[in-house]
Amino acid sequence: LNAVPRRAPQQHVRFLPSRGDGEAMGLVAVRVPVLADHPLVRGPQFRRLKIGAGHRLDVKASGVLVLGIGHGNKLLTDLYNCHLTKVYTVGGLFGKATNDFSDTGKLLEKTTFDHITREKLERILAVIQGTNHKALLTYSNIDMKTQEAYELAVKGLICPMGKSPPIITAIRCLQLGLPEFQLEIHCLHETQQYLRKIVHEIGLELKSSATCTQVRRIRDGVFTLDDALLRAQWNLQSIQNAISDCQLKVKMELEKTL
Amino acid sequence: ALRAALRGARRPSPVPLRGLARPARPQSVRQLREADEASPIFQYVGKTAKRKDRVFVWGFSYSGALGIPSFVKPDAGWKKPRRIQATPYRLETAEKISSAACGYGFTLLSSSTTDITKVWGMGLNKDSQLGFQRSRRDPTKGYEYVLEPSPVPLPLERPQQTRVLQVSCGRAHSLILTDSEGVFTMGNNAYGQCGRKVVEDETYSESHLIHQLKEFDSTVVQVVCGQDHSLFRTKKGTVYACGWGADGQTGLGHYNITSVPTKLQGDIAGVNIVQVTSYGDCCLAVSDEGDIFGWGNSEYLQLACVTETTQVNVPRHLPFKVGKIKEAACGGTGNVVLTEEGNVFVWGYGILGKGPKLMETAVPELIPPSLFGCSDSSPDTRVAHVRCGLSHFAALTNRGELFVWGKNLRGCLGIGRMEDQYFPWRVTVPGEVVDVACGVDHMVSLVKSF
Repeated sequence: LNAVPRRAPQQHVRFLPSRGDGEAMGLVAVRVPVLADHPLVRGPQFRRLKIGAGHRLDVKASGVLVLGIGHGNKLLTDLYNCHLTKVYTVGGLFGKATNDFSDTGKLLEKTTFDHITREKLERILAVIQGTNHKALLTYSNIDMKTQEAYELAVKGLICPMGKSPPIITAIRCLQLGLPEFQLEIHCLHETQQYLRKIVHEIGLELKSSATCTQVRRIRDGVFTLDDALLRAQWNLQSIQNAISDCQLKVKMELEKTL
Repeated sequence: ALRAALRGARRPSPVPLRGLARPARPQSVRQLREADEASPIFQYVGKTAKRKDRVFVWGFSYSGALGIPSFVKPDAGWKKPRRIQATPYRLETAEKISSAACGYGFTLLSSSTTDITKVWGMGLNKDSQLGFQRSRRDPTKGYEYVLEPSPVPLPLERPQQTRVLQVSCGRAHSLILTDSEGVFTMGNNAYGQCGRKVVEDETYSESHLIHQLKEFDSTVVQVVCGQDHSLFRTKKGTVYACGWGADGQTGLGHYNITSVPTKLQGDIAGVNIVQVTSYGDCCLAVSDEGDIFGWGNSEYLQLACVTETTQVNVPRHLPFKVGKIKEAACGGTGNVVLTEEGNVFVWGYGILGKGPKLMETAVPELIPPSLFGCSDSSPDTRVAHVRCGLSHFAALTNRGELFVWGKNLRGCLGIGRMEDQYFPWRVTVPGEVVDVACGVDHMVSLVKSF
């Protein structure tokens, strides 16, 4: 960043004494660069960068992590207040239960899982979706007796605009190949450990046990996997391109919600 | 000799080493794999495990209608009686319950078994609507309030062959439909609603009398109780009625009492009716072609689309343009229909389910399917059944979810709150809801476990 050519130093007018031919000393107006602006005086332009992170991502999880640089950190708080849903791909394994709900933890119990069918899993997921939908309406702090609450509920626009426990807005099974399965979860205000706990509880509901093998965030509000930068792309040019691509999207989203 | 003595002497056993215990290190891959293979596998449920059938009840409990005696008379001195059960509570039953009905303060549960005990009743029994329940303290007297599901003694000719198909409850009378022995009626007969001649000054409490009705043109396939009248639907599609008629709810063309089930004419004559429903004083019937007919009380605009009069005593066809109708349900002041596409329409008076602004309408209004869980992520969620209590409604979806809305009288909605609900709200039941029966202030649901 510091190697990028900077703007030229500012110029100002100074009245410098001039050496006349012989007798009188006069002042001549000369445009000279400001000494304080000289690159050797100023030093490198960027010594520190303020980088803030958006929604947290676990050590064991992977996926989209939104960062704000410099003045972009102010946009981060606005994006947080929009309360947009995040989408995760969660992979799980039936038959094992561990103490921290993931496959790297201490094994607690092994169970059979050959009685699990796709139909039973879909039924459990429908119940989870139903109870979380109720929680969505309850934590939105809207008085249920008003006409506007009814209209918002019809359109599906009720969502908690303040603090709330983790809420899952949609959950569906992408694939089920015993003992592995994969779910797609749309959620609000959640942590990755909560998603692992949900996988464990799904295993309990199906009268077996389950652990979580993979948590991957594929969407965070307006940012999807396509906007994200891979490890090989962590260079200045791609970062600058990414920032300019996302600027328009972020502005539109903020205007729509707030 | 010394060597022999030394050979004989036992060597002292080595003292166990008392060094430091080995610290817990992160286990190596091999140790983890060995621990994994060594641990036992538990089996909680086998491949052919069956889903169990359960009954959940909620609402007002002091009448005994919920069937849980500890709510009314707690089993320990320090416990307080529970007046209202605001969320679904499991009711243990001896058999699988196939049909349930809620009356005004009492409940009937029936099972399609060939055992001798087929019907259980609980709640109010002041008019013997649950049959004669012999009191244990005094064998000559009967119970006025039944707190637990107690067998209803039916005078069956072939008790080990007949099966009970359906039960229905009204304000103070009940009907039990069997497959080969007709309809049994019990309870109050002050208006002839039990289908027998009205006896003046008859005392209905502690009565052993259960009347049997067999004379219909074909087998009866559905029985429905209104507040003080009874409707019978036969296999041929005809409808019979008896009981109080002051609001025209018997549909026989007059406003008098009928004590013998009589066939209805009017717009229904010749039409194959596939479902009748009633709970208050208004009645609805659905034909096989998807048309709907109504008669009875119309003070709350239930039949205002065809007539201005407040009492209609002859069945009239209701020309609604909502599509082919599959099922209908009548409440005290509001009605609801379900069409073939799965849309729910409400009309009448009261909390209809479209917010606090819509309190009365004569024309059916659609409740948006998004309120029943139909969204982009689950587009084929559809309402499968609709039911009505006196002032509240219930809808069952094809995913086994139960939605309720209406006046929350003494916690009858089961949502955990005591406030009225102006749009459909999910009831959290631990299972897939198969059927639900709505009463005045309580509800009973038949649920299949996961």
